[in-house]
Amino acid sequence: MTEIRPEAAAAEAAGLDEMRRAALTSRSFVAGALLTAVFIAMAAVSFVWTPYDVTVLTIPDKFLPPSPAHLFGTDQFGRDIFSMIMVGARTSILVAVVAVGIGVVLGVPLGLAAAASRRSLFDELIMRTNDVVFAFPALLMAILITAVFGPGIVNAIIAIGIYNTPVFARLARGAALTLWSRDFLLAARVAGKGPLLISVEHILPNIANLLIVQGTILFSLGILSEAAFSYVGLGAQPPLPSWGRMLADSQTLISLAPHTAIFPGLAIVLAVLGLNLMGDGMRDVLDPRLRRSRG
Amino acid sequence: MLTVAGLNLSIAGAPILKQVGFSVAEGEIFGLVGESGSGKSMTAYTIMGLMPRGSEVQGQVRLDDANLLQMSESEMCGVRGSQVGMVFQEPMTALNPLATIGDQVAETAMIHGEMGRREARTLARQTLDRVGLPPDRFHLDRYPHELSGGQRQRVVIAMAIALRPRLLIADEPTTALDVTTQAQIIRLLRRLVEEDGMALMLITHDLGVVAGLVDHMAIMRHGEVVEAGAAEAVFRSVRHPYTRALVEASNHAPDRSLRRRVEPEPLLEVRDVVRDYPVARRTLFGRREFFRAVDQVSFTIRRGESLGLVGESGCGKSTLTRAILGLDPVQGGEIRIDGEPVDADVPHSIRRKIQVVFQDPYGSFNPRHRVARLVAEPFHLMSEPPTGAERRERVDKALADVGLPGESAGRYIHEFSGGQRQRIAIARALVIEPELIVLDEAVSALDVSIRAQILDLLADLTVRHRVSYLFIAHDLSVVRAITDRVLVMRAGRIVEEGETEAIFIGARHPYTQDLIAATPSIARGLASRTGRAKGEEAPT
Repeated sequence: MTEIRPEAAAAEAAGLDEMRRAALTSRSFVAGALLTAVFIAMAAVSFVWTPYDVTVLTIPDKFLPPSPAHLFGTDQFGRDIFSMIMVGARTSILVAVVAVGIGVVLGVPLGLAAAASRRSLFDELIMRTNDVVFAFPALLMAILITAVFGPGIVNAIIAIGIYNTPVFARLARGAALTLWSRDFLLAARVAGKGPLLISVEHILPNIANLLIVQGTILFSLGILSEAAFSYVGLGAQPPLPSWGRMLADSQTLISLAPHTAIFPGLAIVLAVLGLNLMGDGMRDVLDPRLRRSRG
Repeated sequence: MLTVAGLNLSIAGAPILKQVGFSVAEGEIFGLVGESGSGKSMTAYTIMGLMPRGSEVQGQVRLDDANLLQMSESEMCGVRGSQVGMVFQEPMTALNPLATIGDQVAETAMIHGEMGRREARTLARQTLDRVGLPPDRFHLDRYPHELSGGQRQRVVIAMAIALRPRLLIADEPTTALDVTTQAQIIRLLRRLVEEDGMALMLITHDLGVVAGLVDHMAIMRHGEVVEAGAAEAVFRSVRHPYTRALVEASNHAPDRSLRRRVEPEPLLEVRDVVRDYPVARRTLFGRREFFRAVDQVSFTIRRGESLGLVGESGCGKSTLTRAILGLDPVQGGEIRIDGEPVDADVPHSIRRKIQVVFQDPYGSFNPRHRVARLVAEPFHLMSEPPTGAERRERVDKALADVGLPGESAGRYIHEFSGGQRQRIAIARALVIEPELIVLDEAVSALDVSIRAQILDLLADLTVRHRVSYLFIAHDLSVVRAITDRVLVMRAGRIVEEGETEAIFIGARHPYTQDLIAATPSIARGLASRTGRAKGEEAPT
């Protein structure tokens, strides 16, 4: 909108500095970010290297308990569970990021538009459509899409993304509505700004913390949904490993080889925990008022 | 009866009260006066044993011979409500919205008086009668949302006095109310004190309220009592410099002798403006009904003129403001600035002639933006907004105009006090050099000393800039200091209009006369005191 002036750039840099300091003093943010970074690193490394090839079956090595050779042991086909979790992180992160992305990109503008035209026919139309979509559980949506397009990771992503959309739309509308009655939005209207500009410039930054927290919750829900879809066979198809399918495969073997269930389960728990902690910390870091009160 | 001595309070290590001491005698009205942050409310909470977590208290709070500070929580529960009653500032939040007014008043009696429900309800009925809520209109089974602010405050008072406590602590009981309602509540409190022989400790920031009312008073600042004594002596001698500053700030009228001449041509013309609101339908297919918030209002502001618009809450002045700012459409009449019509889609070149300053210094800025960006917001109205160094220069100039250093530009709004925020709001209004600034209760939320500074600033700006003001307020004394002409609005209509001084000296409309009479003033308060001393009834 405006070109960067040296003073503004300096102020901006000071702001980033403050933000960095706040981020580093927020325990939950640091812990969450570290956990998340570990999973992202695992996923990234899996593209170039994994301890074992996850598509090769070595039946004689089946059900090996954790050992230096196989850190997390092996499954019923003799595949290395650690390698599978590394590759499975790829699937989980992909599904979660893209599904939340779909939800944000579709839901937030809809919610902001509904709030900007509050109590109009347009508002009603958007929100009632949302209600209808909201009424379908994600799993039902996935079954519907699978019935039409067949099972697969892309269809799982679309199903979760559609499910996420009304969540973001409602959240954005509700938060924006309370802001629309505030004096600073009146001031912006007196400054001649239209609903679009006000929504982008004033409302979005003020509801960003809510959206980020909701986003991280839905990230973790996305990972869980992907696991659930894969568990019932609607998500990632073999040979692509997925944490959910690893759990599904191990359920009949749990008394025989508990490690086949424990490690994918732990991966899901820790990834979800990391994202939630990070989201919680990020809300504090992004708010200039909370930043100061941390001293 | 109540003695506070050497009271120290610190919260999380930060000292809040320092050696506070005063005493309240049986049946007297005691005033505790101070600006926000002076510790006056915290003193009241300490007396009631309602300190926040993590606070450390030293000193004595004696009610007769008992030291309240040494009492256990359960002993304090026996004191609160039965021996000491309390009334809070905000009548909207002091009542439980889901309980009937009768039950809420009866509750105190049932807890302390060991009364049955029936007796307690009878007592509640009597008490509500005493506070001026008669049974035919205010049945025990009514809910708080059905009452006005003043009526709710009467319910809160009824809760506090139901068991005839010996001491009533009222924390800013009238600050949230209109002036005429305020006068009624003050009259009620005075009557209850006389009837019950109860002592009243009135906590307020308004010297005008205490001037005619209290017997003894203490003035607090930064957690310390700076001056105390018989009210009349304090007002007559005004020994402490802070007391003098407070009294001066309360009566402050900025020097307007240097302001520019009012030019004859009209700047803003409002002609027969009507503003209707749809009301919720009574039945599903009922006809949509409308509430007329602004009814055929007409007035003119000339260039360089400063016009006051006065009215109590709900009179339609804010609705009218929004119409003038072109935020809401009007249902009749027209608004013109410089001869050009103003409506919801007025072009930017016209809209830039009007800017606004809102009441709430906390809500009128985006907390996520720095001051430079906040102040620069109206540049959006210019066809070629200044950029780079010029933009920076104009923001700095606007900040300098309102007396803020240039380095403020890089800070966030939460780093500023209420008075500083109001300066920033004025800078934002000034930055595109508008013809008219609408000040919507712009000084109502400020302490008297800060208010005096902002009024000076506004007066000074009319010397340096060619700007007119539309000054909207519920407080007549503020309007008197800063405006040339004044309009009095009631129930959507202008009931009186004229030169400011002429209105104050000889208002013709009875409503205006009521408003003027109800406005607290130190001089009038003191005059009523001497009147009472001569044995006459105080004029109220």
